[in-house]
Amino acid sequence: MKKISLALTAIVFCVISGTLLGLIIYSPLPILARSLVSPEIQFAILLSLVTSVASTLVCIAVAIPVAYALARYTFPGKQIATLILTLPLTLPPLVAGIALLLFFGTTPWGKALDNAGFGVIFTPLGIIVAEVFVNLPYMIRIMRSTFDAINPRFEHVAKTLGCTETGAFFRVTLPMARHGLLAGTVITWSKAMGEFGAVLMLAGATTMRTETLPIALYLNISTGDVDLAVAAATILILISLVALCTVEYFDRDVHVF
Amino acid sequence: MLSIVSLSITLGGFSVRDVSLEVKPDEYFIILGPTGAGKTILLETIAGIHAPDSGKIFLDDREITALEPRERNTGMVYQDYMLFPHLTVEENIAFGLRQKNIPRDEQRAIVEEMCMLLEIGHLAGRYPGTLSGGEQQRVALARALVLRPAILLLDEPMSALDSRTRERMRSELSRIRKLTGTTIVQITHHFDDVFALADRIAIMREGRIVQVGETSEVFLHPADTFVAEFLGIGNIIRGNSVMAGKIAKITPARGPAFFAASDIVGDVVATLHAEDVILSKAPFESSARNGLPGTVSEIIPSGSTVRVILDAGFPLTALLTRESCRDLDLEPGSSVYATFKATAVHVIPVTASE
Repeated sequence: MKKISLALTAIVFCVISGTLLGLIIYSPLPILARSLVSPEIQFAILLSLVTSVASTLVCIAVAIPVAYALARYTFPGKQIATLILTLPLTLPPLVAGIALLLFFGTTPWGKALDNAGFGVIFTPLGIIVAEVFVNLPYMIRIMRSTFDAINPRFEHVAKTLGCTETGAFFRVTLPMARHGLLAGTVITWSKAMGEFGAVLMLAGATTMRTETLPIALYLNISTGDVDLAVAAATILILISLVALCTVEYFDRDVHVF
Repeated sequence: MLSIVSLSITLGGFSVRDVSLEVKPDEYFIILGPTGAGKTILLETIAGIHAPDSGKIFLDDREITALEPRERNTGMVYQDYMLFPHLTVEENIAFGLRQKNIPRDEQRAIVEEMCMLLEIGHLAGRYPGTLSGGEQQRVALARALVLRPAILLLDEPMSALDSRTRERMRSELSRIRKLTGTTIVQITHHFDDVFALADRIAIMREGRIVQVGETSEVFLHPADTFVAEFLGIGNIIRGNSVMAGKIAKITPARGPAFFAASDIVGDVVATLHAEDVILSKAPFESSARNGLPGTVSEIIPSGSTVRVILDAGFPLTALLTRESCRDLDLEPGSSVYATFKATAVHVIPVTASE
C-alpha cells in the first residue's frame, strides 16, 4: 500500500511538473525572450495587470463589508443571500459571462450605462466587470471565514476602551484579519489574471484592445502563433506559482476553499 | 454606584429577565450561576455591548442605558482576556489612552505606572501570544484599568488559569482593588472566588436573579432549593488556621476548633458540604474525624431531604434524608453530635479586605 501510494504520488508529480516544464522550455530562450517583448504580449501583460489590479481593488472594497455582515449580523434571508453571493463560485465563467452580456446588452439599465459613457460590452471596462463578477464570491468567502474566526469579543473590549464601532473594526478586527485579506487578495488577483471565459463573453477577444494574457494565448494558438501563446502561458504559470506560495504561507489560519 | 432596574434582554439562546441589582461603591460583587444562566449577557449589557429590550442601568446616578460603550466608563476583562494579538503588551495597555487622544508622553507615564502596579514591566515589548495565562490576565487587567473605570467587569477571569496561578490572581485582584478603589462586578461559577473575594453575591438562574446578599448570608440561608442545591456546600466557616502535625487546625471566631486536611495557614475560609456532616445522638470517636456537640436550631425540609441547622458554637448545616431525621428524633433544641472528616473540609486562604 505504502509503495503503491508513494509511486503514484511520484508519477503525478512528474506528470504535472513535466507538462508545465515542457511548456516553459518549448520555445528556445531567445525566442521566448523575443515573444515576451513583442508589442502584443507587452500589451497583454499591461492590460492584464491594470484590469486585474482594478478588479481586485473593487473586490476588496465590496467583499470586506459584505463578508463582515455575513459573519457578524443576522438578518432575514441570510441563508439565501449567502447562497446567491457564493453561487458564481461553482458557476462556469462562460455562463457568468453570457449572463453579464445579456444584462448589459439588452436591459434598459445596461443601455443607460452605455449611453453615459460606461460601455461594458467589448471594452476593457468589461474585462474588469467580468473579473469582479466571477471573483467577488471568492473574496467574500475568504474574508467571511476570516471574520468568523475572530472572536467578536475583541471588538467588545475595544469599544469599552473608547472605540466607536467603525474604530473597533479598523483598529482591531481588520488588522487581525490581515492574513486572510492578503491571501484573498492574492487569490483574487491571480484568478483575475487568468480569467478567460467570462472575459471572452463580455469583453470579447479583440487583438490589442481587450487582449489580456489568457485571451492572447487563445488568439495566438488559434492563428498558429505558438511562440506568442507559450510566452503568455509562461507568465501565467509564474503568476500561479507566486500566488500559491503566498497563500500557502499565509493560509495557516485561513481556509480559502 | 451601579444600579440596574428591571433589565431584560434576549440574545440568541440566552436571556436576562427582569433583573434588578444594586452594587455599592467599592464593593466586590460576584454573580454566580450555572452555565447558560445569562451571566455574560448581563455583564455585556452593563458594558453597553448589547442594548437591553427593556429596563434601565445607572452608573454613579447617571443613566447609561442608551450610551455607547465608550461613554460608559466601564472596564471589561473576559475569560480569554482578548488581548489584541497584533499589538505588543505596551500597545495593548495604551490602547484606551490612544483612543482618548492623550498625549504620547502622558500615555507612556500612565502605562509605566500600570505596569509597575501589576508587575508586568518586563513584558512590555512582547506579543500576547508569547505570554502565560497569568501574565495575559494581568495585561488584560492593566488594559482595562488604565482608563480608571468607575466599575470593572470581570467575566470568569480565573477559569483559564491553573489553581496556583488562580490563587495568586485572587490576591492580586484584592490588592488592585485596595490600591485603585475600583468597584468590581465579577461573574464566576468558581466558589473559591466567592469566598476569597466577594463582599456580596447574587445567584442567577435562567436569566433571573434568584438571591442577592452577603456571601455568608446567602450560603447560610439559601432562598430556595435551587440555590441550596447549586451552592451545595452548606457550611462556610471563617477562622484562623495553624498546622497541627500533618493537618490544619482551624479555630473559628466563635466556637470550637476543628481539623482539616490542608497545609494552608493564616486567615482562611473553611467550607464543608452539608451532606458530609453526620449527626448522631452519642459522640462518635475517631482520630481522623471532627466531632462537635451542638444544639438543633432549625429544621428545614426540602424535597426528599432535610436541612438541619445546628449551633455548634458556630452555625453548622447538615443534610439528612427524611428517614434519618425521623430516626434521630430531631426537633429544635435537641442536642446532637456532628461528625465530619478532616478531608471533607475545603480550606481557602482569605485575601479579601474586610
